Amino acid sequence: MPDPVLQAQGFGYTYPGRPVPALADLSLAIEPGTFTLLAGESGSGKSTLLRAAAGLVPHFHGGVASGELNVGGLDVRDNGPSELSAVCGSLFQDPESQVVMGGVRAEISLGLEQAGQSPAAVARAVEEASLALGVAPLLDRRTDSLSGGELQRIALAAAIVGRPRLLLLDEPTAQLDPVAGDELIWLLRRLNEEWGTSVLLAEHRLERCLGAADRVVALEAGRVVCDGTPHEFLAWADAGGRESFVTPVGRMFSLAGLAPLPTSVKEARTQLQAAGLDQGGPAQPAAPPAHSRSRSRAKPALELKKVWCEIQDGPTVLRGIDLVLEPGERVVLMGRNGVGKSTLLRHAKGLDKPTRGKVLSEGWIALLMQNPGDYLVHDEAGQEVPPAGLAAAGLAGHELDNPRDLSGGERQRLALEVVLGGGSPTAVLLDEPTRGMDALRKRALAERLNGLAAAGAAVLVATHDTAFAADFADRVVLLGSGTVIADGSPSAVLAGGWYFATEVARVLDGAEGALTPEQGAALIQRRITAAGAVT
Amino acid sequence: MRLIPSYRPRASALHTARAGVAAAFCAALALIPMLFDNPLLLAGTLAAILLAGAAAGVRSEMAAAARLAMPLAILVMVVNPLVSQEGDTLLVRGWVILGHHFDVTLEALAYGILGGFRVIVLIMAFALYSACIDPDEMLRALRRVSHRSALTATLATRLVPVLARDARRRSDAARCRPDPPGRAAVAKAALTGALDRALDAAAALEVRGYARATHLSEARRPWSRQDMAVACATAGIVALAVLTLFMGAGSVVAYPRFQMAMGLPEIMLAAAIPAVALLPFAGRSGSLGVARA
Repeated sequence: MPDPVLQAQGFGYTYPGRPVPALADLSLAIEPGTFTLLAGESGSGKSTLLRAAAGLVPHFHGGVASGELNVGGLDVRDNGPSELSAVCGSLFQDPESQVVMGGVRAEISLGLEQAGQSPAAVARAVEEASLALGVAPLLDRRTDSLSGGELQRIALAAAIVGRPRLLLLDEPTAQLDPVAGDELIWLLRRLNEEWGTSVLLAEHRLERCLGAADRVVALEAGRVVCDGTPHEFLAWADAGGRESFVTPVGRMFSLAGLAPLPTSVKEARTQLQAAGLDQGGPAQPAAPPAHSRSRSRAKPALELKKVWCEIQDGPTVLRGIDLVLEPGERVVLMGRNGVGKSTLLRHAKGLDKPTRGKVLSEGWIALLMQNPGDYLVHDEAGQEVPPAGLAAAGLAGHELDNPRDLSGGERQRLALEVVLGGGSPTAVLLDEPTRGMDALRKRALAERLNGLAAAGAAVLVATHDTAFAADFADRVVLLGSGTVIADGSPSAVLAGGWYFATEVARVLDGAEGALTPEQGAALIQRRITAAGAVT
Repeated sequence: MRLIPSYRPRASALHTARAGVAAAFCAALALIPMLFDNPLLLAGTLAAILLAGAAAGVRSEMAAAARLAMPLAILVMVVNPLVSQEGDTLLVRGWVILGHHFDVTLEALAYGILGGFRVIVLIMAFALYSACIDPDEMLRALRRVSHRSALTATLATRLVPVLARDARRRSDAARCRPDPPGRAAVAKAALTGALDRALDAAAALEVRGYARATHLSEARRPWSRQDMAVACATAGIVALAVLTLFMGAGSVVAYPRFQMAMGLPEIMLAAAIPAVALLPFAGRSGSLGVARA
């Protein structure tokens, strides 16, 4: 049996100035060539474990470490990040902050050059890594000309170019759209299978990764609470009532009383077929309704009339958008990257003026863009919003905390209260609010938005998150090439799609418009009943 | 639009020549305004830079840099006659502040105009460098001298547009608040954000072996036709500058009476500079056939 590539024995770590340890008495062994998924809610210690394995904890961040943690045979207490970089590669959330060089080729070769490798060896390794990750056509591009997905792939190429034994990844898909995120996960699986690189991946979107993983390690409060195969992990999470760890399809199966819980869409379909509960092949996707809404008599909260955004010397982003939001309506705006979702929100808020057309609204339009930290400018949370706003954000008692010390979810709640301004906005607009969020935080966000809608505000959320859209929205608007290409109920727009479909809808081929685990489970139970009646 | 041009790979002789040689070409062009203030020589050098930029396919980048150069040049043109009290030809009798006369003379005005012209030529030479020379390749060359300083300079160059985008986002976020915060608060938050970015970048460098970095071993790269052409042009421009110095041509005397040499030698040299600078862009270039299966 080869030595583990990572071995922790009673490892603990406390950040400087923090009373509670981030990792406590952690024991874990990662075998060579395995793909391990690190699950856990925000603040559970996933990132700290990865930073410890990379040597950043404690050498870069300070703090107090105890116990043992060996990576590739090197003790992290005696070896810093530079020494550990010889055995492990690291990839973090934000590619903008980890790409150093101006050119792609120089970026990928930097690590090897720093290690003093010969130019011929560097050139060959760069060619091989870029071909393995499909980024060879980008080698002569400038890094500032790449999309987020391309930049993250380049950062991955730079992490693997030295053929590390262990690859550490901290939510690498958090800043990516679903397609780029899925592609990255499958690239990791390919690296794992073909190069034998061990992968330790921390992710919130478990449904995206479970199918690729050999093993799942779940952390809670810095301790390992589950360590098993993806099936064992799902069974553990389901039995323990840990809903945030159960994937939508797993939850559908659990509610329908089926076992074992599947780890992927393909596995779920196979299980349904084996049980005779499928419909025998994919249904023809229904044409999504276009512009099918009828106007109510109520005065709209927000109205876009033939709004155009034509960039000088650039593309036309919006092409005569007509959109009406009624008071209290919860609308989700979807569409591929670059289709104009953020631009539409900026025009609705008035940050940008349409080149043609009008935006009509009365009252305050609140806009929360993608980076909630941008809204927080003071040193104390209590200076950002009045006490009622803090209470609404669930941050009563945190008046003196620096907003930068709050967790990602807390910062977002605070930023939302900042843009709401303590008043009653006519409309609330949010741009990709669920990116990098765990299930609990998504649910809390949906509850707050439901409260605002109940108070009469129109809520418009731009997102790629189909599960969130299915749970939250009264209406889904689909943008394509700067125009509205579908506008209707979530089941009408999301059930018949492929890319714009929930995981549940993909398993059930969009049957009866089932989108959520609850709807899917009800449908399966009806099929079980029908099958029983026939037999 | 970016006023300081940024490098984009292109197929021109200047882009494809090795970075050290191409940088020397730009430095040779910058040498002329540093050594001479004769308007004919400056005009010849400016023409050389603009023609080289056009031949290299960076016309729009050069135009953007000119927008940066003009206000600075105008500033020099305006300030010199106000602060220099030399010259015999009084144009405007000025005022007295603390017992000091502030008069405007024709000589100071003319010399200010020449100073502004030098600023324009220098900035445009730097713009040509910035648009045509791969900073990563320059870094690789400089790393043999000081690895960490070169890497830090590269990182700073890369982070500037990232931080500018961060600042724009923060400014937009401030506009979304019902009670927009003061500029000082936004600036402080932007500074804090920049420090966070710097910390993230430092962590990224650490995990990529920055602390164990060794001196770079450089592969021997054969000289290409472009390398040799640009090097020859560089040598030619430097030779013209030395020849001008040796001949005593291109002289300008600003005070007490403005005098400048505008004879045949200056005209010949002014014409020779762009001709030599354009040599690397002349001649045949390779072409690729269409591969057939």
